[in-house]
Amino acid sequence: MIDPDAELVRNAGAGDARAAEALVRRHLPRMVGLARRMLNDGAEAEDVAQEVFLRVWREAPRWKPGAAKFETWMHRVALNLCYDRLRRKREKSDPDAGLYVADNKPMASDLWLARQRETKVHAALADLPERQRAALVLVHFQELSNIAAAEMLEISVEALESLLARGRRALKAALADVAADLIGDADGVSRM
Amino acid sequence: MDRTRFEALLAAYGADVSRWPESERADAQAFVAAHGGEVSDLREEAREIDDMLAHASVAPNTDALAARILAAAPRRAEVFDRRALLALAACAVFGVVLGYGGGLLAPAPLEDDSYFAMAFEAPGEEG
Repeated sequence: MIDPDAELVRNAGAGDARAAEALVRRHLPRMVGLARRMLNDGAEAEDVAQEVFLRVWREAPRWKPGAAKFETWMHRVALNLCYDRLRRKREKSDPDAGLYVADNKPMASDLWLARQRETKVHAALADLPERQRAALVLVHFQELSNIAAAEMLEISVEALESLLARGRRALKAALADVAADLIGDADGVSRM
Repeated sequence: MDRTRFEALLAAYGADVSRWPESERADAQAFVAAHGGEVSDLREEAREIDDMLAHASVAPNTDALAARILAAAPRRAEVFDRRALLALAACAVFGVVLGYGGGLLAPAPLEDDSYFAMAFEAPGEEG
């Protein structure tokens, strides 16, 4: 298995600032994206991404390529950090957790509409059962292979596909009232 | 690929075949070419969910976060210092071992001190 990050990790661990920067450039947006969709909270997502990289810096000098792809390892760390935070939220049952805070800054109406739609979809994602959400985040958004995602969730590929299908169905039901606004208006959706 | 499997893939991965498991894409394309009309409603439904998901975009400005993260990255100077300290410690241990071992290996002083007495023998006594 060839790991495209192996050399960067080794060099970053040896103190190469350029390698560290390249790793951050390559993976930070994806880590923030994963945590944002899992937690539905931008600030918490940034905390998770930062914690992932602190662990990367700690582990990089000892990183041995071959055991697992670096990106897979990062995803696993990020997912576990998200699970920890979700568990803590449940225990505290914070009534404001995941609540959208309106931005009062003036905004062009198109942008405002786009934000509203985005908020609704993120909220619907956040309402999915945790495992369904994780499956969708890993496969649909992070574009991991079904095998990698199934390994990460410690389930079979069949079970992963079942989670994905149920998640997609639940999302459709949750967004039924705004479906007309969302369908056919998304950028970058490729067609079969 | 049969219809059951096609529907299962559609339900799990959506309408975009490029998101499907690589090993099943060619069969899926062949299935669409042969039976696309029979599953058009399901494909349309999957496409609608894809559209919904596309709104959950995340376009964070991560510049400030990246700067914070990079400030905590390992630095070559620190790595060098750590290695230099280790090397220095190793040298010190080696020196101590060498000194101690050298002492042990050196010839033991002779009990007989005649060589010392000979060195200070009076010149007149010679011959």
